[in-house]
Amino acid sequence: MTQPSGSAGVKRRDFLKVLGAAGAATTTVGCFQEDVEKLIPYLVSPDDTVPGVSTYYATTCRECAAGCGVIAETRDGRAIKLEGNPAHPVNQGALCARGQASLQGLYNPDRYREPMVRRNGRLERISWDDATRMLHDRIAGLGAGAANALFINQHETGSFPAFLDQWLAGYNMPAHIAYDGEAPHAVLQANRQTYGVAWPALDFTAARLIVSVGADFLDTWGASVPQQLAFADARAKLADAPRFVYIGPRRSLTGLNADEWIACKPGSELAIVNALAGRGGSIADAATASGVDQAVLQQLANEISATKPSLVLSGVTTTNALDVALAVNALNQAAGNVGVTIKPAEALVSFDRAGTPNELRDAVQRMASGAVPLAMFRGVNPVHVLPKSLRVAEAIGKVPFKVSFSSYPDETSELCDLILPDDHPLESWGDAESVRGSISLQQPAMDRVFKTRATADVLIGVTKGDPATASRYPVADYRNWLIGRFPGGAAALGTALARGIASGSSLQSTAAPRTAPAAPTAAPLEGQQGDMYLVVYPSPVLGDGRGGNKPWLQELPDPVSKIAWQSWIEIHPATAARLGIHNGDHVKVDTAAGSVTAPAFIYLGVRPDVVGIATGRGHTAYGRYAQNIGVNALDALPVAHDTAGGLALTSVKARVSKAAEFSPLVTTEGSARQHGRGIAQALTVAELNAPPAAEEHHFAGDKDHEFLPGLRSPVANDAQGVLGNPKSKDKGMYDPEHWSGMAKRRWAMTVDLARCTGCSACVTACYAENNIPTVGAPWQGRSLRPFHSSDGSGWDTRPGANILKGREMAWIRIERYFEGGEDGSPDFDTRFVPMLCQHCGNAPCEPVCPVYATYHSPDGLNVQVYNRCVGTRYCSNGCPYKVRYFNWHGYGEPARRQYAFPEPLNWQLNPDVTVRGKGVMEKCTFCVQRIREAEHRAKLENREVAPDEFTTACAQACPSRAITFGDAADENWSVARLAEDRRAYHVFEELNTFTAVVYLKKVNHPAGGAR
Amino acid sequence: MGILAAFRELDATVDAIEDLKKQKITDITVYTPTPRHEIEEAVHPPTSPVRKFTLIGGVSGVCFGYWIAIWSSDYWPLVVGGKPVASWVPYTIIGFEVMVLVGALSTVAGMFINSRIPKITMTVGFDPRFTHGDFGIWVPAEPDKVRAVEETMRRHGAVEVRHER
Amino acid sequence: MATTTARPPAVKEPATRPNVASANVQLPGVRDYEQVDTEISATLKPTAGWFGALGLAIAMFLWGAGAWTYQIYWGLGNAGYNPPVMWGVYIISFVFWVGIGHAGTLISAILYLFRAGFRTTIYRCAEAMTVFAVMTAGLFPIIHIGRPWKFFWLIPYPNWRLIWPNFKSPLVWDVFAISTYLTVSSTFLYVGLVPDIAVLRDRETNPIRKRILAVLSLGWRNSEREWRHFARMYLFLAAFSTPLVLSVHSVVSFDFAMAITPGWHTTIFPPYFVAGAIFSGIGMVFTIIIPIRKFFKLQHYVTINHLDAAAKLCLTTSLIVGSAYIIEFWIAWYSGNAVEQQYFINRVFGQWWWAAWIMLTCNMIFPLSLFSQKLRRNPAWLFILSIFINLGMWFERFVIIVPSLSHEFEPWQWSGYVPSWVDTSILVGSFGWFFMWFLLFIKQLPVIAIAEVKEIVPPKLRTAHPHADHVDTSGRHQEYEPDTPGEFA
Repeated sequence: MTQPSGSAGVKRRDFLKVLGAAGAATTTVGCFQEDVEKLIPYLVSPDDTVPGVSTYYATTCRECAAGCGVIAETRDGRAIKLEGNPAHPVNQGALCARGQASLQGLYNPDRYREPMVRRNGRLERISWDDATRMLHDRIAGLGAGAANALFINQHETGSFPAFLDQWLAGYNMPAHIAYDGEAPHAVLQANRQTYGVAWPALDFTAARLIVSVGADFLDTWGASVPQQLAFADARAKLADAPRFVYIGPRRSLTGLNADEWIACKPGSELAIVNALAGRGGSIADAATASGVDQAVLQQLANEISATKPSLVLSGVTTTNALDVALAVNALNQAAGNVGVTIKPAEALVSFDRAGTPNELRDAVQRMASGAVPLAMFRGVNPVHVLPKSLRVAEAIGKVPFKVSFSSYPDETSELCDLILPDDHPLESWGDAESVRGSISLQQPAMDRVFKTRATADVLIGVTKGDPATASRYPVADYRNWLIGRFPGGAAALGTALARGIASGSSLQSTAAPRTAPAAPTAAPLEGQQGDMYLVVYPSPVLGDGRGGNKPWLQELPDPVSKIAWQSWIEIHPATAARLGIHNGDHVKVDTAAGSVTAPAFIYLGVRPDVVGIATGRGHTAYGRYAQNIGVNALDALPVAHDTAGGLALTSVKARVSKAAEFSPLVTTEGSARQHGRGIAQALTVAELNAPPAAEEHHFAGDKDHEFLPGLRSPVANDAQGVLGNPKSKDKGMYDPEHWSGMAKRRWAMTVDLARCTGCSACVTACYAENNIPTVGAPWQGRSLRPFHSSDGSGWDTRPGANILKGREMAWIRIERYFEGGEDGSPDFDTRFVPMLCQHCGNAPCEPVCPVYATYHSPDGLNVQVYNRCVGTRYCSNGCPYKVRYFNWHGYGEPARRQYAFPEPLNWQLNPDVTVRGKGVMEKCTFCVQRIREAEHRAKLENREVAPDEFTTACAQACPSRAITFGDAADENWSVARLAEDRRAYHVFEELNTFTAVVYLKKVNHPAGGAR
Repeated sequence: MGILAAFRELDATVDAIEDLKKQKITDITVYTPTPRHEIEEAVHPPTSPVRKFTLIGGVSGVCFGYWIAIWSSDYWPLVVGGKPVASWVPYTIIGFEVMVLVGALSTVAGMFINSRIPKITMTVGFDPRFTHGDFGIWVPAEPDKVRAVEETMRRHGAVEVRHER
Repeated sequence: MATTTARPPAVKEPATRPNVASANVQLPGVRDYEQVDTEISATLKPTAGWFGALGLAIAMFLWGAGAWTYQIYWGLGNAGYNPPVMWGVYIISFVFWVGIGHAGTLISAILYLFRAGFRTTIYRCAEAMTVFAVMTAGLFPIIHIGRPWKFFWLIPYPNWRLIWPNFKSPLVWDVFAISTYLTVSSTFLYVGLVPDIAVLRDRETNPIRKRILAVLSLGWRNSEREWRHFARMYLFLAAFSTPLVLSVHSVVSFDFAMAITPGWHTTIFPPYFVAGAIFSGIGMVFTIIIPIRKFFKLQHYVTINHLDAAAKLCLTTSLIVGSAYIIEFWIAWYSGNAVEQQYFINRVFGQWWWAAWIMLTCNMIFPLSLFSQKLRRNPAWLFILSIFINLGMWFERFVIIVPSLSHEFEPWQWSGYVPSWVDTSILVGSFGWFFMWFLLFIKQLPVIAIAEVKEIVPPKLRTAHPHADHVDTSGRHQEYEPDTPGEFA
């Protein structure tokens, strides 16, 4: 029994407590006086993560409806890279540029940080509880008006749509509108009528002839990645590959991949197809209607009838699109392609429930009428994706309470009263179904970046928030709801998550098959005026504009025009000459609905009576990277629909005039002609079948030769003197017997131009993998005068200012060369060449470097040592391929206005790759970090690196499998085999640079070619 | 101690020098505002040894130039552009430049050493006029010789003869 | 300080022009040694105009320095670079200034070996110009590189990282060539100055200046022994500087010739560059010496005959440069190399026609006027022409660098180039830097080599003399043999 000692005084123990607390307090204060920076996201990392070692999560890409499987690489709890899931039936490991860039949606600096409510015009923060309650109260207050409430959701497959409808039904609200602006609704409709399925599988490889009537299956038509894979496989059959004919007023990326372009008047496709199918209308009539030479059509007709099997696709966006689609289906049936190249049995279900712009227009009109008490938007931005003439903003303004689940401040959420920012797909649970019978799972790859919340959980929260309705959802959250419906439950899901794909169909169990909407009578184009046609097309890079806030996509040059950070109007050389227009002169396009003005891009690939504009730019909101960049083509588009409800984009008459302004094109193109320098080489089928000339298979390097650099000899031979001498024993680390074993390998790459479609996915993949800064943002420009004011004047604030100065940093770029067509005829050939560091055996860039910042590594790489580089830029002068890039500004310095990774975009940076400093040279490294990682893994597992065990980022992403990387010194790697192909050549071989990149010649199939 | 004489005329100076030499007086320092061939002929000095400095400097320079280039290349062998690790041909430039550098500097050093400069303190037997227009002769002489020397100088028309001590 | 002189005596040019390009140069206006001292030291008195010029130069220099600071902070992107044009105004100006720096050593060394007497009164100016021009040139590679604070990595020095520069790189050759050239030419300038400083020292009344000059003159006493070693040293320095001056610009030309870039990768570059360098150097000498002889009243030292002789040298080098241009074109055509041909067509008739024609007019066509003796002996015209030559030679380097890089092998990467305010400010600043040093020099130290002029001035003589065969009473320069002939070998 202890007596309190010194009851008046402080107990010793209390004193110590106080002391300790005070000490703690002071130290804490001391800590917080300078802002604490977290070096790694975790102080104590969970058991399953090792700092510095990647964890991979299989999930699903939600950038478009196709629903490709992706594998998210996370490092210390942050997703740093997306790659296609090889096990996935849709994309088989490939991933397009938009999918790659989904990361920049996750880390977008302009995302809503937390729920917001609009009070007297200004957005104010609000807690999730209050936000949920506010939504609940509103819904509760609807009463009978609930029947008129609107929920507009982006079209997506999987369980969520069903969940959503179920939830809406619980509040007597109508089923949601699943809007998909990019899906070819006419085709879906026609297919349902013809085959009973919306999207039969298309077998390009089986076809001997592919005819595309405006179907851009390589850019936005359908599920582009699987189509690219199939098309590339078909083309890889070389002599047996299908000939590809493209019919349409504008030569899109798909059209540029065609062997023949039949440039028809917009709207005349029906006449052509009918004539070809022999269902009314003669070839002659079609020729006159379409402005195409009759002989050409006749020849095509003969070819179709002669070549079996063929594959005819339709993707026109005219008012009569449905008729064209039906005619094409009939043509396929007549040609006996159904079941051979068109397989309704193996249908793709991605688009089954895609809603049309027409439905959205109806919704807008309902809103305009003031009948809608409550409108909710998720992942749809009607203000931007519908023609201006529809006055969407006005209509939305008429709705008393608008809720946006968008995570980004886009034009629509700028009008909304309540913002409930949704989780990014990489932060949330979900599922998708593209191929019938398989569920593609979506799981969080990392913790939330901001205080966002998955919409489904918000909705569940609303229901549970009210005791009356709480019983509807016994589950805690959407994840458990999913588990509940998942065949096999939690355990099965757990195992399935590892692969990211599971058999079974969530849709069929939950969703009623979509009933085709009452086909509206085609809204005709009133008041057509002008002698030209306006052709609007969805941008293959930015889509309907969703990509606009991702710098990678803004920076990615359009595959056709090679223009970035800018809108442009494509105009034919002859027309341009007639109107006195040069590249960059502003062109004004007037239609009955409005007008749009943008700089001209003189392009062989449009008819002389056509101007082409891409959608996607011209945002008035949507964050720093999208706002006020370019123009929105839809501003000039009248509201017209085909009978399937799709927007009519290509049959609009317009008046075209030259405007006063001029702004240089933000293009990466220097000259579009090769000037006979053999950079992109091609063969015709005839030449391919011809016996190889003796000298044709001339190839750098040669095993037997004593000193000869190049792929065919060990790296040591790349150097003269001691190293090149086979007898010398003193080769140091360049000796294959050296303990490091580096010199045993010789890293090389082949690029098959017969496969490459120019889609540019590799470029974005490279940006993601190698921390390449984007330099085109308006605030990244250079100084224009000595004295700047705080408002940033005095700087070059044009979008893409740095690219105007040729300072883009793309380590791999797609060069697009035209052959022929100098006279403006549609008969020209396009060659796409991925150009990257060629890792020369005799690199002209190496000897000129005064500080050894670049040298030839024992495994054949042309190494660039950033820390050693002093920035003389001499190496770039030496390089004939011009693939070295210089850090002109402090793109990696947060203190500089040119900083390329504003928080939290920097979370994406690859920890394995340096962020280059100001004033150093950089270039493609053959993803040396991946090479070393693979080697280290092999060493840890006490084995050699297995053939084709790993590959570079570009090769991994490539949706046409054109790029192959590996060890040319080891015959078991496929690259060694491909390098021996008789189509192999080196660019600028005559310079004796002995490059490690081998190109395989493109194969052309001219009309009437060998068959 | 000695005699310092200043002359206005070149030929007078030359005569004086030759006369002194006839008197077996060899320790003569001649001052001339600008190098004159006549005076050099009269004095008949040995050839300047500066060229030896030049030769030694140049040779060691070229050796060092080649050595540093070749040694440092072999010290850390890196292949650049297929060139031999130590490529002597381009290293000739290094060798040449270092040869010129060291050679030139040692030549200057040779001049300094041989002509006993830098000499900060003004010694006896000099007069500022010798850098102006006048020629001069300085003869260190014992007292017994002083008279003869002075007399010689005057005979040849020295404008001033000074006893320095 | 010496008193200012009266106007120099009116000099009557001899009716028949002597063969000035030889050792026999006359200075009829200069009568005796004392006159040389007084008149030359008179030029050292600062004037208002000089202060004005110096102020302007310093202002220009500070503006350029500010621009450089700005560039270091914000990055090279603020210069006009337009990849693949990775080299621009800075390298152009580097080559330009190095070229300027070639006249001095040429005149003081090569013409010395060739016994070309007309060098005597202009070489001091030219040498000073050389030193300051090379100082200016040396700045530009540092301004040009991306990380100037790492410039010392190009210099071989023992370091714990055990890394050495790449001696195969022309840029390292540059480091050696330029630093050697700077050291040797400034040494040359200084040792040449020593006797003259001694002259100033002995004329100086102000004790402090006298002390400083005493230190600088190293206690030079004009003794016959000093002259003898001096002469031998001067000879060997000249013998070293001659190949050096030829090597430096050859090495600079390797910066281009070693890259496989079209328009660069040619063997004609070394001689072509050396000729161009001397040409531009002479041009700059005219730009400098003509105002100096006017404002310093030195027309009777730097006579019309001197200018005439220098003009002939200028004409010769101009002809060499011109033929080099023509040979370039011819080779491009004769090689049958399409890339090379397309490049040259683009250079002269395409994208860069204007630059190419500025070069051709200023360097090939205008100098042909020097075939006329009247114009050769017309200082005003020589000055105007020299300005054109400076302009033309700057553009020669522009035409060599920019069009090549903007029109290389890869058509996809063809581009243009426009300098920005930063480049131009730094270029202007470099002129400020150069003239700042030069102006400071000409008021501290004699711009005419006093001792060497005295060699030409006839010495006082008492009578005809047994040595009359050497002592030339006509006043013609008695050639100074540093040693008995035959010892040069």
